Amino acid sequence: MASIARCLRVARPSGLSALAKSPVSRVCIARAFSATATNAVRKYTKEHEWIDLSADLKTGVIGISEYAAKALGDVVFVELPEEGKRVQAGDAIGAVESVKSAADINAPISCKITQVNLVLEDKPGTINQVPEDDSHGGGWIAKVQVDEEGVKDLDKLMDVQAYEEFTAGEAEH
Amino acid sequence: MPPIRPSSVLTLCRRPSPVYSGPLKARPRHRPFTQNHDPAILHRSVQIYHSPSTDPYLNLSIEHHLLQRSSPDSYILFLYANRPCVVIGRNQNPWLEVNLRQLHHGIPPPSGSSPQPVDLVRRRSGGGTVFHDGGNLNWSVICPPAVFDRDRHAEMVTRALRGLGVGGARVNERHDIVVDDVVKSANAAVQTFKVSGSAYKLTRLRSLHHGTCLLSSPNLAHVSALLRSPAEPFIKARGVESVRSKIRNVGVGNGEFIAAAVREFRGMYDCPPDAEVSVDEEAALETPEIAKGVKELMSPEWIYDQTPQFTFSTHPTEDDPRPRPPLPDNIPSRFRSHLTIRHGEIQDAAVTGLHYVDDIDAASQDQALSQALVKQHLHRMPDWREALSSASTVPLADSNAAGDWLNSMFGNNTP
Repeated sequence: MASIARCLRVARPSGLSALAKSPVSRVCIARAFSATATNAVRKYTKEHEWIDLSADLKTGVIGISEYAAKALGDVVFVELPEEGKRVQAGDAIGAVESVKSAADINAPISCKITQVNLVLEDKPGTINQVPEDDSHGGGWIAKVQVDEEGVKDLDKLMDVQAYEEFTAGEAEH
Repeated sequence: MPPIRPSSVLTLCRRPSPVYSGPLKARPRHRPFTQNHDPAILHRSVQIYHSPSTDPYLNLSIEHHLLQRSSPDSYILFLYANRPCVVIGRNQNPWLEVNLRQLHHGIPPPSGSSPQPVDLVRRRSGGGTVFHDGGNLNWSVICPPAVFDRDRHAEMVTRALRGLGVGGARVNERHDIVVDDVVKSANAAVQTFKVSGSAYKLTRLRSLHHGTCLLSSPNLAHVSALLRSPAEPFIKARGVESVRSKIRNVGVGNGEFIAAAVREFRGMYDCPPDAEVSVDEEAALETPEIAKGVKELMSPEWIYDQTPQFTFSTHPTEDDPRPRPPLPDNIPSRFRSHLTIRHGEIQDAAVTGLHYVDDIDAASQDQALSQALVKQHLHRMPDWREALSSASTVPLADSNAAGDWLNSMFGNNTP
């Protein structure tokens, strides 16, 4: 998702800096947390994917960030990951199309895809509305199974605060 | 995908191809895909490539190779022209976007007698359907995501066109390059024509923006018919639908355009004099990753089965309530067909109203026939007449008219 999030910079520089601190974004993050009380960890990649890891560190949910969803523009199609597939951190697991752009979704950590969000097949715009919602009807992309390697990968990712600083920094460029 | 270091690029280019390394082949084993150049070219900071090939599958695979394997901070311009082909976007539906029967027939030749074949291509980038031929120059810019902007390189091409005297060229809100023209009519209205379309592919480390540029295509009169599917009133599809635009040539030669685009690109990025190279077609085909890309792009699984789910219905449904055009008179008036197609395969079928020789229990005959169509791949069905009669457990009184019509809808059994 790295490329997309930056694409509005030239066209709408002021819009982007507002975006990083937008109230919409805060509401959304708050909702995702409240909807998943069992989640111990939420982390973000520099490429704007997020992962929620369960308290027992065995399962997780993957999606793309509010920041990226906004920068993408209207999502018109989501190519979902393949169920059952094992992937390494950084592997392209699916793609979203918006404004003539096919953008890869990358695995934030090594994991195995156990379920994909079929809601997005029929309603790709859900990604624009509630990208960080991992509950039923939310814009999450996939549920995954995590092993030790995946847990280790987590160390390289950012927590919410670090990610907010990171995106604010991106917007100021 | 892990970050690509120059060393892995080198390894890749020098790896002998398993296909061509047999004892009968005297070809050198370590070849870059460009002529007279070091394979290390992929991690130079600025690279310009020309492809002499007109094979759309090869050109798109070379482009994909550059996207995947070039050094992450490099800037690349790639220029090529394809033989006649229709190129659909990554998430599009060929049955909806293309008149497949017309495509199989080919387009009239500029001179001579036999029609020119037209290839069907699904590209890896997003966006809508376009027509290519030798009079359409494709330009492609690959750069780090940090400088990605949807208009940046469309503006570059626009400057090139203006420099060549195409005064009114500008980038519109859809990131296309258009020209305005006052049409010679009573009200002298200004009409806008698209001359170049854009599409993008974004990976973790790289961004690709490619576009077409209609310079001097002799085939524009045939494009509209090729890109108009007879099945459009009956199909409701997920994925991406094209936006129809009036098109025209800018009347510039390929060589002139290439020189101008290269000049503009050089003006934007600090480019050494020897950055410009020509792709060696044969060597490119021997690069395993490019060969694999060609094979994938040419496979029916990619061209057809990659299609997002869609329904085909002869009658209005809750999901697609549009009134339908009447079916041909020779089809039984009660004939109805509703198909759900996922990954190019019929997932669900309800075909009713055909006449059976023994009409005692038409409802169960319909059900059996419909059930037998499930799991068939739309593009692999040689002939719907045959498909209907073999799907039916009892002889059909007359299924040829319905079969012919379905053939014309989906482009099967082109006469």
